[in-house]
Amino acid sequence: MRRTVGALVVMIAVVGLASAGDIQGTIYGAGVTISEPTPIATLLSKPGDFVGQKVRVDGVITGVCEKRGCWMQVTDPESGQGVRIKVEDGVIVFPYESMGHRAAAEGTFEAVKLTPEQVAARAEAAKQAAAGAAAAAGEPCDKAEAPAAKAGCDAPVQNDTIYLLRGTGAVIQS
Amino acid sequence: MTGSGSVAPTAPGAVRLRRLVIATHRDVGYFIAGLTVIYAVSGIAVNHIDDWNPSYVVRSEVVELGPLPDAPTEELAAEVLRRLGIDERPRSVVRMAPLQLKVFLDNRNLTVGLPVGTVTDERSRRRIAFFEANYLHLNHGKGLWTWFADAYAVGLLLLACTGIFIVPGKKGLGGRGRWLLLAGLAVPLAYLVWKAW
Repeated sequence: MRRTVGALVVMIAVVGLASAGDIQGTIYGAGVTISEPTPIATLLSKPGDFVGQKVRVDGVITGVCEKRGCWMQVTDPESGQGVRIKVEDGVIVFPYESMGHRAAAEGTFEAVKLTPEQVAARAEAAKQAAAGAAAAAGEPCDKAEAPAAKAGCDAPVQNDTIYLLRGTGAVIQS
Repeated sequence: MTGSGSVAPTAPGAVRLRRLVIATHRDVGYFIAGLTVIYAVSGIAVNHIDDWNPSYVVRSEVVELGPLPDAPTEELAAEVLRRLGIDERPRSVVRMAPLQLKVFLDNRNLTVGLPVGTVTDERSRRRIAFFEANYLHLNHGKGLWTWFADAYAVGLLLLACTGIFIVPGKKGLGGRGRWLLLAGLAVPLAYLVWKAW
């Protein structure tokens, strides 16, 4: 009986854990199936080339939707550039405490056209997010020569279009 | 729940059926009472998600550390932790931008403005009991819990369907119960009509 219970506990612990390359951890959604990640810097330098394609990105989780866990920001620690992984509310829920963990995520790369109101709202949010040193040093997020992505803001705003990954799954390092 | 007043004699079959209805209502009710309380608490909590965070307590404060040296990312992070008196190995350190560094600790994130040394120190923790209640109610775990939650929903259906037949007579479907039942249905219907208007 004890053996059976023990085996069951081990099985439950193993289910939901997986590895994506060197990232081992908990699976969210459909997990990760693409073996090679696309560098985030490559995605954001020529976003038009990747729109509509299913890609995988690897990086560090630098932001998570605080209340619903419906998105997370995966940032390349080398370049500081990040991409938001947006998932359907409730279908996948990224835990808030996963910030700082490494993650692999995949989904369809999308361009989202913003309304003028959304552009203004995002610029304001980005400005607030970059409060602290960047703001103190007179380096607001939305200045023309430095796109938000470079100023460390969470949402890369390029004109009135943002790029995100419509996430289907992820592996987050435990 | 018990019947009240005098009731006309009923056929043995009807008595047996009523006993079955009462027994089902009683036993299913006992079985799902605990989860109903958990789901109800979570339901109220997530209904007001626009006003608060039902699952986490997140607090942040701004600390001025003074100017920081021009140093590689790892060294900068070590200096920030030293000045804050934090003796913890960071989970990760990311240079988000030339003027911004993020240091991730266990349930604590430091956003450092460079070179001025302004730190936004954000700490988070799970909201006790609510996190777990929401985890179950919103089915974050998926998998096996989906099946149990489906069974719970069937249990609720059984409670509703048996509940309306427990009390016979004027306080049951033959009288007050009927009107209360209709009133309960009318509220959501009226709301939908009002919203569609």
